[in-house]
Amino acid sequence: MDKSTIVCKCEEINIDEIETALKAGACQFDDIKRLTRCGMGPCQSKVCTNMVREIIAAYTGEPMEHIEYPKNRMPIKITRLGVLVANQETSSVVSVFKESVSEVDTNG
Amino acid sequence: MDKYVDIAIIGSGVVGSSIAYHLSESRQKEIIVIDKGFPLSGTSGSTQAWVWVHNKSPSWYGELSMYSAELYPFLEKKIGDVEYKRTGGIAPFFDEEDREKALKLAEKQAEVGIKVEVLNRNQVLEKEPVLSSKIAGATYSSIDGNVNPFRLVELYIKAAKKNDVKFSFYNPVIDIKKESGFFRITTKNEGTYTAEKIILAGGPWTKELGSFLGIDIPVKQVRGQILVTEPLAPLFRHTIAGMRQTDNGEVLIGYSKEEVGYDRRTTMEVIQDTAKMAVDYIPALANANLVRSFSGVRVIPEDGFPIVGEISNIKNAYLAVMHSGVTLSPLVGTLMAELLLEGETSIDLGRLSLDRFEKKSNGAVVQ
Repeated sequence: MDKSTIVCKCEEINIDEIETALKAGACQFDDIKRLTRCGMGPCQSKVCTNMVREIIAAYTGEPMEHIEYPKNRMPIKITRLGVLVANQETSSVVSVFKESVSEVDTNG
Repeated sequence: MDKYVDIAIIGSGVVGSSIAYHLSESRQKEIIVIDKGFPLSGTSGSTQAWVWVHNKSPSWYGELSMYSAELYPFLEKKIGDVEYKRTGGIAPFFDEEDREKALKLAEKQAEVGIKVEVLNRNQVLEKEPVLSSKIAGATYSSIDGNVNPFRLVELYIKAAKKNDVKFSFYNPVIDIKKESGFFRITTKNEGTYTAEKIILAGGPWTKELGSFLGIDIPVKQVRGQILVTEPLAPLFRHTIAGMRQTDNGEVLIGYSKEEVGYDRRTTMEVIQDTAKMAVDYIPALANANLVRSFSGVRVIPEDGFPIVGEISNIKNAYLAVMHSGVTLSPLVGTLMAELLLEGETSIDLGRLSLDRFEKKSNGAVVQ
């Protein structure tokens, strides 16, 4: 493996880019992710997790079991947005428009 | 270990990093930025990062946001490509009855020079054919846009480092004391820093930082949850109040507000409501694939407006805490640099002072 070897196939991130993030002070998978997009693609780091953890372990000298995993989030598997549409009367989502005009009413 | 600096900034999010960069441009001061974690692990890294102006009310707050948005193109020349795009912003409404309120908003914003148009259904669809024909209308302004928050914070930090600002990450501040005119800042990993001036820019953790100095900083923590689709072909161009499409094609969707403390879980209920909002606005999104959800905890001052400036009873201690840190960071960085280096600012910060909250509790009129 040389430094140009691709680790994150979804986002095409190589070893060199991961090491650059580590040199900038990144300590965890998610630190590297936010700087490089490593693990942000369609597979959501399912493929690259351990390869990235190994690079972190080699760089920091910490044993593998001390290297954190990336944070998992819903959905576990890619899901059509339409399937999730709820049909509730009330919504936890706020309308930016309504919020702004209520300010006009009270403060205007 | 005891180190001296002229200015210590606590918090390396979008606000703290911007202040550090703007202060460093003159290269007059020795500056350190101390953060409990790594940049982008908190609020600044969990946002859609709209640079949003036209719905910010009352109009003086919209005006501040506009000045900040106006600084972005110049900022990008200085620190590099932060993927700032002035896309124009559309805030849809679904009830014809709302048109009157929209016109009133446009009138108020015009007083400070923010050009807001109130569109009818056809005009909305002309701008963005993918939007739902159930939309009755929208407010629109060309000033709104968005930015890549990861690039923004990273490049603020890189530019500040180039100007010799020091950064200390993964180093929580555990105490701050003022002794014989200087701040003694105790950190977990690097001992104590002594600073002539201190700026608290801890976002949702600013309340804790304030308590070290014995002051109450009235801010709330408000969670927002966001959905991320797989990269799609260009679907819409504008920043729509509730969603935007990034350069690489992902659509970011969400506008929820929950006061649940610093809890960054996502919940099925909000994910479902957010999916509904997405499809109500853009029916074609029903066929898009969701790859991830995430959440972030906003910091929102009790009255909704930024708290920026010197703390009146603690000389040389400053606060910079606000919601909409992404929109406001170029302006707040600029003004804080003026305040600390020259002692006065080009825009009056009186309205943003922490003192307004005390006045309120005494029953005095604010604004």
